[in-house]
Amino acid sequence: MGVSVDTGGKGGKKSVNADLNLVPYIDLLTCMVAFLLITAVWSQLARLEAHQKGQGQAGEETPPEKVFKLVVLVNDSGFNLVADQDQQPIPKKGDSYDYEKLGDELKKIKDTHADKTDIQVASDDAVKFETLVKTMDTALSSRFPDISLIDSGGAGI
Amino acid sequence: MPIHPPHAHLYNSVTLEVAKAKLGHAGRKSLYAPLNLVAYIDMMTMLVIFLLMSFSATGEILFVQKNIVLPDAQNWTDLERAPVIGVSKDVVTLDGSQVATSDELMKDSATGDFKIADLHDKLVTLKNNYKLLHPSEDFNGIAIIQSDKNVEFKMLKKIMYSASVAGYQNVNFAVTPKAKGGAAAPPP
Repeated sequence: MGVSVDTGGKGGKKSVNADLNLVPYIDLLTCMVAFLLITAVWSQLARLEAHQKGQGQAGEETPPEKVFKLVVLVNDSGFNLVADQDQQPIPKKGDSYDYEKLGDELKKIKDTHADKTDIQVASDDAVKFETLVKTMDTALSSRFPDISLIDSGGAGI
Repeated sequence: MPIHPPHAHLYNSVTLEVAKAKLGHAGRKSLYAPLNLVAYIDMMTMLVIFLLMSFSATGEILFVQKNIVLPDAQNWTDLERAPVIGVSKDVVTLDGSQVATSDELMKDSATGDFKIADLHDKLVTLKNNYKLLHPSEDFNGIAIIQSDKNVEFKMLKKIMYSASVAGYQNVNFAVTPKAKGGAAAPPP
């Protein structure tokens, strides 16, 4: 079992034919394929980080000065973006939530408040988990990494 | 000059008598046949490269349950080892064992208490075990919620509240990673 390398050897010269021994190479490949097939991970999963620091809950420190409050309220009719005292409803587009507009508005707020990293996502009971994940994903895309997921009753709006 | 039938010839330089006797049988066809291994080695090499590219050093931390369809997300991070709370449309499980049913969670509690007693107790036990086994490390309070995408927040908030009361303040949600362009993400 080998590969012959012929480089001449005519006219009474000593033949320089050589056989490459491929057995160890095939053994190595077979072992690697077996190991990699056994340890293969076929379903790649990841995670979204969220915190549970609703108003008045343990772990939240009382701020000494007034802080800029940013809340995305998610309900059946769409989003309601609350930036401090201003409220901006973002209604649904047909049956689907308008994540694009929410992202644009959040980016505008981020441009004016560059230091702001935290945001609260307040949800109604009937909102589905997929909607919440997409909302949190939109907030992360708009550079708000500290997300708290809370009940809409706890948002204080 | 006599005419001989053709047969295998050995070079004069070969002095092995046994080899001469074996190979010098006139008229017999040789039983040796060369195997062409090039295609086989090519295929094995390609297979090894593909498997190495999809290799994950962290291994499979989370197993997707049959009745749970995870939502997609673009801004994801790698999974960590933590208690996994599975939430399907029917049952809630903690590391595979059932702790509540969806019917129980969708009912409005008469007392207004969101705590799921079984889930809370098991999480407290896990937290205490972690502290016993890792006395020099800080408890990070991470729990992973692996929820079906059609589950309502009413169920989730009770689970999150129970986890929070048990000391798991950092709740992470298991998602299917998606690249920015919309295609499936490459392995981390």
